[in-house]
Amino acid sequence: MDVIEIEGLTKRFGDVLAVDNVSFKVKKGEIFGFLGPNGAGKTTLLNILVTVLKPTSGTARVAGYDVLKYPLKVREKIGVVFQDITLDRELTGRENLWIHGRVYGVNTSRLKKRIDELSRFIELEKWIDVQVKKYSGGMMRRLEIARALIHNPEILFLDEPTLGLDPQTRVHVWDYIKRLRREHGITVFLTTHYMDEAEKLCDRVAIIDHGKIISMGKPEDLTRQIDREIVYVRVDEADGFKVEKMFKALGENGFVEGFRMLEDKTLRFLVDDASKAIPKIFEVLQGFKVRIREVKYSKPTLEDVFLQLTGKSLREYEAGFVEHVRLYHRRR
Amino acid sequence: MFRFREALISVYVMWYRQVKRFVRARSRLIGSIAQPLFWMLFFGLGFSSALSFQEARSFGLGYMSFLIPGIVMMAVFFTSFTAGISVIWDKEFGFLKEVLVAPASRSLLIFGRALGDSTVAALQGFIVLVVAYFLTPTLLLDGIPIFTLTVFLTALTFTCLGIALASKVRSIEGFHLLTTFIAMPTLFLSGAFFPVETMPEWMKILAFINPLTYSVDAARKILTNIGFFSLPLNLMVLLGSTLIFTFIAAWIFEKTTVE
Ligand SMILES: Nc1ncnc2c1ncn2[C@@H]1O[C@H](COP(=O)(O)OP(=O)(O)OP(=O)(O)O)[C@@H](O)[C@H]1O
Ligand SMILES: [Mg+2]
Repeated sequence: MDVIEIEGLTKRFGDVLAVDNVSFKVKKGEIFGFLGPNGAGKTTLLNILVTVLKPTSGTARVAGYDVLKYPLKVREKIGVVFQDITLDRELTGRENLWIHGRVYGVNTSRLKKRIDELSRFIELEKWIDVQVKKYSGGMMRRLEIARALIHNPEILFLDEPTLGLDPQTRVHVWDYIKRLRREHGITVFLTTHYMDEAEKLCDRVAIIDHGKIISMGKPEDLTRQIDREIVYVRVDEADGFKVEKMFKALGENGFVEGFRMLEDKTLRFLVDDASKAIPKIFEVLQGFKVRIREVKYSKPTLEDVFLQLTGKSLREYEAGFVEHVRLYHRRR
Repeated sequence: MFRFREALISVYVMWYRQVKRFVRARSRLIGSIAQPLFWMLFFGLGFSSALSFQEARSFGLGYMSFLIPGIVMMAVFFTSFTAGISVIWDKEFGFLKEVLVAPASRSLLIFGRALGDSTVAALQGFIVLVVAYFLTPTLLLDGIPIFTLTVFLTALTFTCLGIALASKVRSIEGFHLLTTFIAMPTLFLSGAFFPVETMPEWMKILAFINPLTYSVDAARKILTNIGFFSLPLNLMVLLGSTLIFTFIAAWIFEKTTVE
């Protein structure tokens, strides 16, 4: 059974086409991920699905109801965690949960039980009566997930649930999400620009760029399309001119099909067969008198799928975005 | 289908949030009481001794007793108007989205919020009145029930006006602009500091379309038995302005998206 059905959805902000004719379906009990770089249109799409933004054209049905015709019905059936924290920081965790529960029509005795249950679930029972402004980012995120679950929604929407959290907390949040699906059969729709999140957490992933879905499927199936292996080599120095010459030499060698320089002086090679390519790579690098610090190789990841499809890496986008944010703040 | 119980809960919950926030933010309480107190002490006492106020004396009032109803209403007005425009902070800090995605009537949620802010504003008005009473024990206190009504209608009017204006503003700078260009003129044109009848004609017209004029006049009538309009007229106008601004705020909020 499909609990989210989207047909030709488009959203335009003036000249910007934020969501461009997107169609897909999500089955009940699925963890479905929207993977894309900054500005891809993930938040815009999620906002339309949760009825706080109107699409320019197209239709979306959530939990069986059209989002434009029956927004209140949709809102009863869903829980939402927005990209930015939407807690009332002056109030305590309990008060935030209480307000939410009452507005969603949960009766008082049940609500009390629910709050106890959920604060245990997110392991915040010790903090629940503390003002939210004293929480860390990860604790706020967990509280928001608890809040979104108070009224037993059928579908949980999460916009970049682990953005800005440290690796340990991220794994924690993934565990909560997996448990929700396992124990309660909740459907989860999430957006992310972390490819590991999409890979490890999601049953199905749609890769989105410039408002368009460019690929969709199970993470394994998406990565299997790239019938290659990836070698990463971290080197001592990586000045652009030298690197270009090295790459050229390796390409002529025939072992390496694609390469790219990543941040922190890591070179990334797309190869047919890593075991044969690695000695060759060593040879060439040594010829250029480059010291090798670290070598690893892996099966292709969603990152590589994205790279293959767009010619850009998710991480490059991210670097660009940080610049953008800095400029924006300076202007203010 | 209109469900009465759910409606009541929506209003109550938002009321609770606003009141709770206020109780938490003690600095806000202190600030909002200190300001009117300074007006009374430094401005009021200073003025009444420097200038023997012609009009005030012809009313048979000292300037302090003339000023105090105005200062109480000023406190109510500032608190409620600022509370209303602080919807901007909810936008900035995200809580607004949580409200927008709730499966409840937005009109009722915003009405509950306005009631909460009005309760807070009215409460501050009363605290200021108590302080004022120590400065001028000649104030008449037998009209307190009707005074309460006046204070509450004033608070609701300006909270809702604030909410309505805030929805058209996207930034914190807008907040300061609104304070300067709406709040200050409203206050000066209300007869809180000087009587309406001695204003130049053009200014009088502005005073007459200003709801706060009627609040100040009602308060003065109740507390000192001297006023320009009749009390029923004051209350009628305030009731009207409350209804109008409540509907406008609800209507605007109903259509809000996150764009
Ligand atoms: N309210 C708005 N007005 C104008 N343009 C907007 C608005 N909201 C989003 N956009 C533009 O639409 C595009 C998609 O934005 P969106 O926020 O959906 O991206 P995203 O994938 O969520 O990115 P991020 O990772 O930064 O959250 C961007 O180009 C953005 O600048
Ligand atoms: Mg986003």
